[in-house]
Amino acid sequence: MPSIEYDDSKPSWADQVEEEGDEADQQNKSLEEYGTLPSPKETIKGNIKTVTEYKIDDDGKKFKIVRTFKIETRKASKAVARRKNWKKFGNSEFDAPGPNVATTTVSDDVFMTFISSKEDLNAQDQDEDPMNKLKGQKIVSCRICKGDHWTTRCPYKDTLGPMQKELAEQLGLSTGDKDKPAGSAEPEPAQPAQSKTGKYVPPSLRDGGTRRGESMQPNRRADDNATIRVTNLSEDTRETDLQELFRPFGSISRIYLAKDKNTGQSKGFAFISFHRREDAARAIAGVSGFGYDHLILNVEWAKPSNN
Amino acid sequence: MKPILLQGHERSITQIKYNREGDLLFSVAKDTVTNVWYSVNGERLGTYNGHTGAVWCVDCDWDTKNVLTGSADNSCRLWDCETGKQLALLHTNSAVRTCGFDFSGNIIMFSTDKQMGYQCYLNFFDLRDPQQIEDNQPYLSIPCSDHKITSAVWGPLGEFVIAGHENGEFNQFSAKSGEILKKAKEHTKQINDIQTSVDLTMFISASKDNTAKLFDSTSLDHIKTFKTERPVNSAAISPIMEHVVMGGGQEAMEVTTTSTRIGKFEARFFHAAYEEEFGRVKGHFGPINCVAFHPDGKSYSSGGEDGYVRIHYFDPQYFDFELEA
Repeated sequence: MPSIEYDDSKPSWADQVEEEGDEADQQNKSLEEYGTLPSPKETIKGNIKTVTEYKIDDDGKKFKIVRTFKIETRKASKAVARRKNWKKFGNSEFDAPGPNVATTTVSDDVFMTFISSKEDLNAQDQDEDPMNKLKGQKIVSCRICKGDHWTTRCPYKDTLGPMQKELAEQLGLSTGDKDKPAGSAEPEPAQPAQSKTGKYVPPSLRDGGTRRGESMQPNRRADDNATIRVTNLSEDTRETDLQELFRPFGSISRIYLAKDKNTGQSKGFAFISFHRREDAARAIAGVSGFGYDHLILNVEWAKPSNN
Repeated sequence: MKPILLQGHERSITQIKYNREGDLLFSVAKDTVTNVWYSVNGERLGTYNGHTGAVWCVDCDWDTKNVLTGSADNSCRLWDCETGKQLALLHTNSAVRTCGFDFSGNIIMFSTDKQMGYQCYLNFFDLRDPQQIEDNQPYLSIPCSDHKITSAVWGPLGEFVIAGHENGEFNQFSAKSGEILKKAKEHTKQINDIQTSVDLTMFISASKDNTAKLFDSTSLDHIKTFKTERPVNSAAISPIMEHVVMGGGQEAMEVTTTSTRIGKFEARFFHAAYEEEFGRVKGHFGPINCVAFHPDGKSYSSGGEDGYVRIHYFDPQYFDFELEA
């Protein structure tokens, strides 16, 4: 009775975490109700001011916001200094001293691009306009006269079009005629003609279809028997980390780290090919069971892939 | 450099201006508020609330006591800089396009749009005479019948106002008699912005005809031309270097049809004497509507169609850079 077993079994740790989260939420809510969020703190250390605030967002999660400011003292004329102490007014009346983040932010770094000569400038301009690149290219090509316009707009549509059709028909007939009586007269030209027309040609009929595939031949690489498989890697592992880890055992010819296509994160295993089998053996002995990034690595000989 | 991003407006910036010392930066936009910021850290000091339409122009007097704004809600308002209180409200018949304090801070000028059957006027008020404001009666009002004023600044010594018109023409209007002292027509299209040098001897004009030009304030002699391939919305003269900065880009209506990369939304730095571009600063993702140099020349700000004002403090490379002639 699997269903009963399910009922009796303990919730998985993921559920537990979620429940704990809920409890925390409730705590937060109660905090909100009683208004006992830690009050904003301001500490000034030398010329660095740190403002710590606590906030609860819509989901009831508690946030701690820490902002640091640098306090600068500048000398200014009396009039300017007096103006600096003016009280805020209008829409800023209730703003605290210092810039309000709602209206003032620091933008990304920008640099002045210096231009030394006029030629540079023009070259740059041309690069920048994506339409310029297209200008030289033919985007549209007429099927009838190969001109730079749509087929339907071709000026020779009425004259050249029917002529070409006739020609094509004649050609088609003639090849068909030839094949039938002569039999083995000219079997070769038929294929190139086909490929020209852009029709689908089954792989078996294509050029070189009779030859044996080279890519599929079992061509075992020599270094395969010096390859080790490392598993139980953490997600943050990079190729460089592996290189660092395995270089001490000998020269490495190839590192393959399996990564997720979308996220680019490691899938948790890797293949490392050494130049010499002895190095690989030492690596297995040395690193297997090694604690790395809070996980214990498992290293063994890579099994030859069976395809 | 890490620009300070000021997000005080909900619509495109129309003008930004530093006060005389450069510690405050005023910004107005097509929304109704006028913001004032500390230029040193981008902290907002306050807002001047009251306008009910797009604010086109802002100015501040020499001792940073009063602020003047002109808006499309057909009014020009005078504010107390420190408290944000409205001191005076001057109603007009059409939108106020440009405004300015003269060097003494006593006389204000503003120009109105040719709109809704009303002519373009250049009005002068003397703040020392409260009666003028009470009656909304300028001591001098100059009608400009043919082409409306799109940008205007006070000339040296408060004797005249240099006005740039829709057709690319400049006029010097005397602040005393109202007559036209001098005329010049160097631009072929609308003049978007006029800014003077620190000593008011020169001014730079930014025009829709893709150029910015440097002029002598008194004689209106054309001195230099800075060419670009887009309309120039604003230009400013560096107070310490022989540099000018220009902001522009294609027109706002064409922004959606081109990528930001080729939109040329950079601020562009030209050498004032050689008329050659030597640097660019990226950042805005819309055309730049206004640029302004800090009076100490060590930073500049730009406001864009994207609604942001960016304060840039120059890197040391900027001061070391020398253009090879």
